[in-house]
Amino acid sequence: MSRIRAKTDAFRAIADPTRRAILDRLRAGPANAGTLAADFQSSRPAVSKHLKVLREARLVTDTKVGRERVYAVNPVPLQSVAGWLEGYRSFWQASLTRLKRNLEAK
Amino acid sequence: MSGIKTHARAVADVVDGLIVASVEIARAPERVFQALASREIIEWWVNPGVFDTREWTGDVRVGGRWSASGIARGAPYTLEGEFLEVDPPRKLVQTWSRLGMDREPSVLTYLLEPIDGGTRLTVRHAGIVAPEQRQGMSAGWRTSCDRLAEILPTQKR
Repeated sequence: MSRIRAKTDAFRAIADPTRRAILDRLRAGPANAGTLAADFQSSRPAVSKHLKVLREARLVTDTKVGRERVYAVNPVPLQSVAGWLEGYRSFWQASLTRLKRNLEAK
Repeated sequence: MSGIKTHARAVADVVDGLIVASVEIARAPERVFQALASREIIEWWVNPGVFDTREWTGDVRVGGRWSASGIARGAPYTLEGEFLEVDPPRKLVQTWSRLGMDREPSVLTYLLEPIDGGTRLTVRHAGIVAPEQRQGMSAGWRTSCDRLAEILPTQKR
């Protein structure tokens, strides 16, 4: 199991509410940093910083279109987070079902 | 026992790395607590063909250690941790690590409430962090793109 660097961790990237909102906005369609800054009424450097974190966690991809970079959401890292948690969710679902059945049968 | 709900329920919160699960059991809290803090674990941390806990040992007091081992999808696993809070028959809190896998332990909290005809058991498993971020989709990740809408928090401006 390789240790990962914190900056590539999708959990950490989505811990910030502004970044979650940016991802939510990008689900509606790709956008450039200027559009996102206007949408979020924040400075372009602030939005660029968030986009950098999201890019490092591979939650967004960027494509150069003319002089602009256009950002799009990449769901794969979130799917791996969700997939990992699903193992725990199903563990508790199955275990509690069994606990109930065992105890009530005795 | 008519007030007891039939099914266990477990939900995941992806953003917080949290599982919350609950079940209502037609037995007293004392009886349920015993099943959480004894070798009886090996009878219910079991889902045939998926995971099977075969050993459990625990020193059930604050600061005491616990360990469980078994087989999940053909591969052996060992879980271990420490009891943080032991308050029978109301509450049990313990840390949880998969040996050789987890960067930091998650925290498992059992809460037991007496209800009409039995016990409501709530499990809160918090601080679960994925061991690594996969570069691509491996066979194990079956979550489809369609589920992204459920996964992303619905924060609209």
